[in-house]
Amino acid sequence: MELLRAESAEAARAALGNGSVALAGGTELVPLLRDGIVRAERLVELRSAVPRGISDTGVGSASSSIVIGAGTSLAELEVDPQVPDALREACRLAASPQLRSAGTIGGNLLQATRCWYWRLEFPCYLHGGDRCHAREGVHSEHAIFGNERCASAHPSDPAAALVALGARLQTTHRELPLTDLYRLPTDDDRNVTALAPDELILELDVPSPQRSVYLKAMDRRRWAFPLVGVAAARFAEGSRLALAGVAPIPWALDGEGALDQATPLPGTAYKAEIARALVRRALASLQ
Amino acid sequence: MARLIRTEKEVEGRYTEQWIVVEEDALDQWPAGPLEVVGRDATRTDGLERARGEARYTADIQLPGMLHAAVLRSPHARARLTSLDLAPALAAPGVRAALSPGEIEQLTREPGYMGAPVAAVAADTFREARAALELIDAGWEELEPLLDPDEAVARGSFVSDPSRYERGDLERGLAEADVVVEAEYRTQTVLHNSMESHQAVCAWEGDSLTVYISTQYIWGVRDDVADQLGLPPDKVRVVCNFMGGGFGSKNGPGDYTFIAAELARRTGRPVRCALTRREENLATGNRNATIQRLKVGARSDGTLTALGGDFVNAVGFRGWSPSTGGPMQMLYACDNVRIVEHGAKLNTPPNAAFRAPGFVEGTFGLECLMDELAAKLDVDPLELRRRNYAHSDLVDGRPFSSKNLAECYRRAEPHWERRKEVQARSEGSWKRGVGLASQVWYGGGGPPSYAWVRVGSDGHAAVITAMQDIGTGSRTAMAQIAAEELGLSVDRVEVSLGDSARGPFASISAGSSTIPSMGPAVRAAAADAASQIIEIAAQRYHLEERVLSLKSGHIVSADGGSWPLEEITGLLGDGQILGKGARGPNPAGMRTLTFGVQVAEVAVDVETGEVRVDRIAAIHDVGRVINPLGASSQVEGGIIQGIGHTLSEQRLIDPGTGRVLTQTLDAYKLPTIADVPEIVTELIDEPDAHLTNLGAKGLGEPPIIPTSAAIANAIRDATGADVRSLPISREEMLRALREARERERRAPVGAAAS
Repeated sequence: MELLRAESAEAARAALGNGSVALAGGTELVPLLRDGIVRAERLVELRSAVPRGISDTGVGSASSSIVIGAGTSLAELEVDPQVPDALREACRLAASPQLRSAGTIGGNLLQATRCWYWRLEFPCYLHGGDRCHAREGVHSEHAIFGNERCASAHPSDPAAALVALGARLQTTHRELPLTDLYRLPTDDDRNVTALAPDELILELDVPSPQRSVYLKAMDRRRWAFPLVGVAAARFAEGSRLALAGVAPIPWALDGEGALDQATPLPGTAYKAEIARALVRRALASLQ
Repeated sequence: MARLIRTEKEVEGRYTEQWIVVEEDALDQWPAGPLEVVGRDATRTDGLERARGEARYTADIQLPGMLHAAVLRSPHARARLTSLDLAPALAAPGVRAALSPGEIEQLTREPGYMGAPVAAVAADTFREARAALELIDAGWEELEPLLDPDEAVARGSFVSDPSRYERGDLERGLAEADVVVEAEYRTQTVLHNSMESHQAVCAWEGDSLTVYISTQYIWGVRDDVADQLGLPPDKVRVVCNFMGGGFGSKNGPGDYTFIAAELARRTGRPVRCALTRREENLATGNRNATIQRLKVGARSDGTLTALGGDFVNAVGFRGWSPSTGGPMQMLYACDNVRIVEHGAKLNTPPNAAFRAPGFVEGTFGLECLMDELAAKLDVDPLELRRRNYAHSDLVDGRPFSSKNLAECYRRAEPHWERRKEVQARSEGSWKRGVGLASQVWYGGGGPPSYAWVRVGSDGHAAVITAMQDIGTGSRTAMAQIAAEELGLSVDRVEVSLGDSARGPFASISAGSSTIPSMGPAVRAAAADAASQIIEIAAQRYHLEERVLSLKSGHIVSADGGSWPLEEITGLLGDGQILGKGARGPNPAGMRTLTFGVQVAEVAVDVETGEVRVDRIAAIHDVGRVINPLGASSQVEGGIIQGIGHTLSEQRLIDPGTGRVLTQTLDAYKLPTIADVPEIVTELIDEPDAHLTNLGAKGLGEPPIIPTSAAIANAIRDATGADVRSLPISREEMLRALREARERERRAPVGAAAS
C-alpha cells in the first residue's frame, strides 16, 4: 500500500478514486483496512489538504455562525467556547480521549455503522446482499427509524448535533446542507452518504443557536457508541431535533410527535422509550 | 516427619481424592492482628519493574531465530472440512511450516464451535504468518448448529451427566412454607479478556522442551505437555515470571502451546503462538450462560423450609458443568434442598473456569431470590439472612474450620443503615436504593506445595519456589511472610519464582489458593532457615537457643543483646543457610470456606433505564490478611469485574449461524474507570485457628461473587423492579420497570403495602 501526502485539496481530489482512499485521523479507516472491509491501493493523507481549526464568521452578531475545518479534531471542538454546546457535548461524550485527539470532524461524519453483521462481513443488505441479518438476528444496538431494508444504526454523536444545528458543508464539489449528505440505502445504491468517490468535505458552516444540548444514552459511562443520542437546538425561527444511533443515518426528528412513527424491532423497542425521555429532556433544557 | 495420607483436594469447587505426603506443620500460628511486616500494607515489590516495562512477560520473550505461528480457526459453529490446501500458504513469503488436522490432536476437521483450531502456520514474522492464513483454501460443509440450552437439555445433549443433590424433602418443605417464591434468573456468557492474550513460546534443545507461557499453573502445564508429547516431566521446563491476567482461563497449556511445540520441533527453531484479541474473544474460554429456575419456601418468620433449583449451564462444545447450585447448597441452613444441574453441550465456544465459576452465577439467582422473599414476607433482608445462618457445613455436617460471616453481617450494618438516607436522596427520575448479598466459596488451598529459603552472608534472603504470580501480588505476600519469620524488612527478601527448573513444586494459582497453599510453605522454609541462624548464633555468642530471636535485621537475646544478622551470616563467606518448607495438611474432618457480604448503593434513571453504581462496601472473611493493601486491590478488582458482569459485558452469538458477534473491545463492553464506584473494603482479619501455620485463606475469587446480586437487590430497593437477567442492560432495566408498573396497576385497590 502506498501513502500519498496531498499538499492541497485539489491534489487530494485528483488522487482520489481508482483504489485510492482518503486518510485523515485514521481511527475509522485503519481498522476497516485491517479487517479487509475497505480495500485500498493508495491512501491519500489529508493533513495539508483539508482546513483545520475554528473561525467565527459573524462580527459578534447574534445570527452568526462558525466555520469548522473538516480536519479539526473532536478534542479541539470539545473545548472551544465558540462551538455550540450540543456539538461540544457530542464530541466530549464520543469515544475516548485518545480517539478524539486523532479523529477529525470530517471523518466522523463519514463513520460506518457498528452493526456487527456488517463489521463481520455477513453478506448483508448494506454489503450488497438481499437481506438484513440484524432484523432477524441480534439487533439490540440497532435502528428504530428507516430500518425497513437495513437496521444498522449510525454511530456518530457529532453528526446528530450538527444536523440539529443546521450545519452546511463545503466540499470540493459543492455546498450542501448536512442532511443532504446522508441517504438511506436503496436496492440500487447501498451507500449511506451522497459523497462522490473523489469528493472531500472541506469545511462545516455551523449556525450559532440561542441554546443547544446533546444527551446520550450508552451501555457504560464512557467510550461507547450511542444507544440513543438526542441533539436539540433553538433558533429564533424555531427548534430542531436530531437523533444518533437510531437509524442507518443521523435522524432529523420533526418534533416529539414524530417519535410515534418509530418502527422498532423487538429488540430495539427500549430505544424508542429512551428516545422519548431524552427528547423531552432536551426540549425542556432549551427553554 | 513425612506422613502419607489420603486426602480430598479441592480446586474451584471440584474435589479429587489423592495420596499425598505431608510434613507436619510444627509451627504455631502467629498472634492475630498486624505483626512487624505481615498484616501491614506493602506496595508491590515488583511495582516499579512492571511500571517501567522492565518486567518480562511471555509477550516480551524474544529468542534468536524465533518464528511466529498463526492459527486457522473455524468460521462456522458446526461444520465438516471437505477440502484443505495448505500449499499456497507454505509457498508464501517467510513461511517455514504448516500443520493440518490430524497432525496434532488439537487441530480438527469437524469443528464444533466458531474459533476451533483447524490448521496452523509458522513464519518469520507474525504478519507473514497471518497473511499466509489468508491463502489457505478450505472447503466446508456447514451443519446445523445446536445453540439453545433448553433445547440441548430436551435432546439430552450434555457435556456430562446431570448432577443431582438432595437433602430432606423439597415437597414437604414447600408444603410447610407460609410463602413460596418462584423465579427464573438468567446470566449471560462473559469473557475473561485478560490484558495479556493466551500465548506460549516453545523452544527445543535436544530432547528437552522449554515452554514460556502465560499461565496460572506452571506444574500443570509441565505435566500436561510431558504427558501429551510422551516426554519425562523433567525434560519439560515451564517459565512464567510475569503474567498479565488469567482469571481461570489459563489453568492448562491450551491448544496454542501444542501448536507452538510441534511447529518448533519441525522447524528446529523457537516458535511463539500468541492469540490475537479477536481470538481471545472466541476461543479461550468463557463464563458460561445459565438459566436458573428457582424456588424458595419460608415460614412467615423468615425461616427457610425449602430451596429448589433447576440449573442449566450453557457449557459449550466442551468444558465442564460448574456448580451453579453450590451457593444454594452451602449458604443457608435449610433442611429441604433439591438441586439439578444440567451441563448443556452446544455448538458454542467451550467454557473455562472464570473467577468463582458457578458461584458467581448461582449467587446472583439465590441472593436475588432471597430478597424477593424478604419483600414478600416484609422482613428486613439482612435479618432474613441472619435467621437462616448455617452454623456448620450443611452438605456433610462437618464443622467449619472458621466462619465469621456473622461478624461480616455486623460490620455491614452501618452500610446497610445508610438505606433510608440513600433512598431519601432520590430525585426526579433518579431513584436510589441499597441492596446486599452474601457470599460463600472455597479458598482454603491445600498440599502439596514447597518452598526454599536461602540466606546469604550479606544478611539478605531469597525465597525460591516455582509458583507463579498471576498479577495478584502473591510475590509480595511471600516476601512479607518470609521477612516476618526472619525478622527482616521486605526489601531484604527477594522472591524467585516462575520457573519449574528453578524451584520446587508449587500450587496452581486458581481457586483462591495461592496464599493458603504457598504461604505456609514459605513460612515453614523461612522458619527452618531462622532456626539454623539461631543455632549458629547460639554457638557463636555462647547463649542458649531459646533466648535468641530474629528481629529488625538483628539477632536479639532475651537479656538485651543485639547483633546485626550479617555479623553471623558474614562469618560464613560463601556459605549459605538453606531452609526448606512444605505446606502441611488441611484440618481433618473440617470444612474450610470463605465468606463475605457486599452492600451496594445504586441510582436508577427510571425513564432511560440507566443504572449507576455509586458505592459498594465489601466485608469479607478470609482468615488472616497478609497484605491489607494488596487485599484491597483484589477486592476492588473483583468488584469492578463484577460490575462489568452485572451491567455491560455480554458475548453475543448470532442465533442463525452460531457465529460470535462480539469479537472486539468496542462491542464487548468491559467497564471503564468511569464506571467504578466508591469501594470500601473491610476484612475481618481473624486467622483460621485450624488452617495451617498462617490461618490465611484466599481472596482472589470471593469479591466478585456477591456483586451482581447486591446491585440487583439495590435496584429493587430503589425502584421496586425485579431484574432477573444479566447484564442489566437498558433493555432489561426498562423491561423490569414496565413489569413492576403493570404489577402495580393490576394490584387491587387497597392491597398495596402501606
